[in-house]
Amino acid sequence: MMTRMVMQRIGIGFATLIVVSIIVFIATSILPGDVAQIVLGQSATPETLAALRAQLGLDQPGYIRYFSWLGNMVTGDLGISKAGGATISSLIGGRLGNTMMMAGWVAVISIPISIALGLWAAMHPGTWLDRIVTFGTLSLISVPEFFIATVAVLILAVELHWLPSTAYMTGEETFLELMKALAMPLITLVIVVSAQMIRMTRAGILNVMSSPYIEMAILKGVPRGRIIMRHAFYNAIGPIVNVIALNLAYLVSGVVIVETIFAYPGLAKLMIDGVQTRDLPLVQACAMIFCGTYVVLILFADIGSILSNPRLRNPK
Amino acid sequence: MKDDKSKSELNYRDLTQSDKDLVAKLVRGGFSRREVLKLSMVTGVSLVAAEHLLFDGKAAIAATPKKGGSVRMASNLHGPDDQLDPILFTSTIDYTRGRATYNSLVQHANDLTPQPELATSFEPNSNATEWTFKLREGVTWHDGSKFTADDAVYSMNRHLGEGTTSVINSVLKSIKEFKKTGPYEMKAIMNSPNSDLPTLMGLFQTKIVKEGSTGGGIGTGPYVMDSFQPGVKSVHSRNNNYWREGANLDAIEITAITDPVARVNALISGDMQMITQPDPNAFRQIESADNVTLLSTPAAVQLGICILKNSEPGSNDDFVKGMQYIQDRERIVKRVLKGKGSLGNDTPVSFSHGPDFCKELPQRQFDPDKAKFHFKKSGYSSAELFVAPVTSGIEDTCLTAQANCAKIGFDLKLKKVPTDGYWGAVWMKEPLNVVTWNMRPTANSQMAIQFGPGGNWNDTFWNNDRMGELLRLSLAEINPDKRHAMYCEMQTLIHNGSGMVIPAFSNINDGIANNIMGMPTVPLGQLGGCEWPEFIWLA
Repeated sequence: MMTRMVMQRIGIGFATLIVVSIIVFIATSILPGDVAQIVLGQSATPETLAALRAQLGLDQPGYIRYFSWLGNMVTGDLGISKAGGATISSLIGGRLGNTMMMAGWVAVISIPISIALGLWAAMHPGTWLDRIVTFGTLSLISVPEFFIATVAVLILAVELHWLPSTAYMTGEETFLELMKALAMPLITLVIVVSAQMIRMTRAGILNVMSSPYIEMAILKGVPRGRIIMRHAFYNAIGPIVNVIALNLAYLVSGVVIVETIFAYPGLAKLMIDGVQTRDLPLVQACAMIFCGTYVVLILFADIGSILSNPRLRNPK
Repeated sequence: MKDDKSKSELNYRDLTQSDKDLVAKLVRGGFSRREVLKLSMVTGVSLVAAEHLLFDGKAAIAATPKKGGSVRMASNLHGPDDQLDPILFTSTIDYTRGRATYNSLVQHANDLTPQPELATSFEPNSNATEWTFKLREGVTWHDGSKFTADDAVYSMNRHLGEGTTSVINSVLKSIKEFKKTGPYEMKAIMNSPNSDLPTLMGLFQTKIVKEGSTGGGIGTGPYVMDSFQPGVKSVHSRNNNYWREGANLDAIEITAITDPVARVNALISGDMQMITQPDPNAFRQIESADNVTLLSTPAAVQLGICILKNSEPGSNDDFVKGMQYIQDRERIVKRVLKGKGSLGNDTPVSFSHGPDFCKELPQRQFDPDKAKFHFKKSGYSSAELFVAPVTSGIEDTCLTAQANCAKIGFDLKLKKVPTDGYWGAVWMKEPLNVVTWNMRPTANSQMAIQFGPGGNWNDTFWNNDRMGELLRLSLAEINPDKRHAMYCEMQTLIHNGSGMVIPAFSNINDGIANNIMGMPTVPLGQLGGCEWPEFIWLA
């Protein structure tokens, strides 16, 4: 039953990737100007434009370019950046590592903190501790991340000189130096994603707490901590893993603002650069990675909810 | 008597680092009386002693380039389109990497006179139909092989001919071809005489690459490229086999921080030692920080509004006049550019171009009455101007014009568009749009590019035969008085006839750490025309 579902989902995942690649291809083609115009910019002349277009193969019709990209993609060849001439895999390689490293550290720090704080708030609803958590997270969700990042830079880097203002990596630093370089974006992202996960954990558990079987447990005299850990938490896992999965996918694909403010060479900024230079193979490669991340993470989230919920495990 | 005593006691090298920084900052600023007073107050020495200290400091700073150390530079833009192929260079980060890695035949001095680089001499024949370049012997590529005329001829011919993708192809139209005439000698065969040819041989894109290559980071330049990641950074270390004295720094790292606030923060917090193009609103922040200096080099970076002469409403001369008289030029320089700029006179030539600038041409003033008169005569009561942030200050310049237009009952609508795709979709297409140009090294090339009849980038579509004739004749004219008269006539033609509104020129603004010495001031690009890698050192 489980394997069948997983296989089905993987199949749908591939179909999603194809559809996304077609949409991205069309959307990028609709944008004004092509890569030759962007590269030559203000200095473009009709002759140099024609020469560069021929050099880059842009004089072929769109569908041929799409299918030759698709064919290469299937064989694992991501192609060459139309804008700069570097291979896409070399452009993506280091940045994918950076993005995964950042997402990994944020996850390692924020997931335990969020679940612990969420549980803690749910155990003591209505107390001033709960109110601090609820109010604090609500405020942080409402503040845009560039604001958090800018304030953090002004205080910690420009005024106090404790941390560097940009996540500039030389590639030769020790672990401690690396952590220092990454500290600012890490702090910003942990704040941004934790706030949401804390609220979701708290809400998920409190939601379950109002169901009849919990009332039964309360009437039986089971202590509140035990009710939450034994009964409520397992039933709240579904929504919690889903919000964690969405936040992780966001960390891989959506942190362009944090990458820009801290000049951190990650994938999200690369995709934006790709769009700005109309560098289609690059945009496509990034889109496939982001889409794939969502597909995989949401698959994991669904497996998690099914495993934690016997009703989903054995559908009628 | 007391003054004399402190004079003999206090010298630059005895100062603490923070006082040294202050002296360095003042020396860069040209030390006015007020600043001497400031130094005197801060260090607690007398005025005479402070003055002595500054001169001593200036001598110390100017005299002794020190070897060693490294700097990180952050430009404003980079991406997957970062290039190592000189013929496609279009951004500061490309220019800087090119300057660190390669050499040109000719190098621009601070006053824009052409200096020998890989060419040891450059001479025209009697009727300037050919130029002979003698090339430097004993220069080696980073891979150890020898530089010869073959490399130079190959590199320069890449800009010419059918199928070239060189971004300066049109600028070099007066050259027919380059020919090897000896192992270390080459000739430029001209289509038409061009007395500015040596200057053009020093453009950012004319870097010499190895024969058969597209650059690839192998050059003859002062730094060897250790690593290059497009859109991330590049790392360069000193070329110990350089043909000149060579670079002072052990290593440089070149990157970009695209967010303007983050860029300035990185400079002030010491993560970066050099940054380009701080936002005008951050000038005061940089000037008031102790460890960094704002470098502002007067240049002809135009804040331009193009009014297309081949369509409505630009075909109406009165409309153009109205737009020119409604520019509050003084206010734009003072408020928008925070004083780091100069007045524009609706021509692309500024005093930074040297003797070819026509200072006799009267400055057009802000005159709402005249503007109202001309707008009324033109019959238009509104127009739409496309604005993208193509250079800092251009949006506020347009907003200033909009406000002043409203006061005289003219409705100037501003249509904001992104820079992304701007050059292909808006510029030279919409009847009113904004433009900026990098400063060109000569008044002739500056005017030819925008106002040469039928040229590719004649961005107001103003085609004037006399202009074309003068552009050609002035290049062949040797008599300085006649030459100046021609340049004045051209600037007057543009000032009165074209569709160009240039209310102001921006300086080139950068921020650098106080301990960086020996900065060049070539006004052709950011950070001393991107010439800094070979010349700076750390105090």
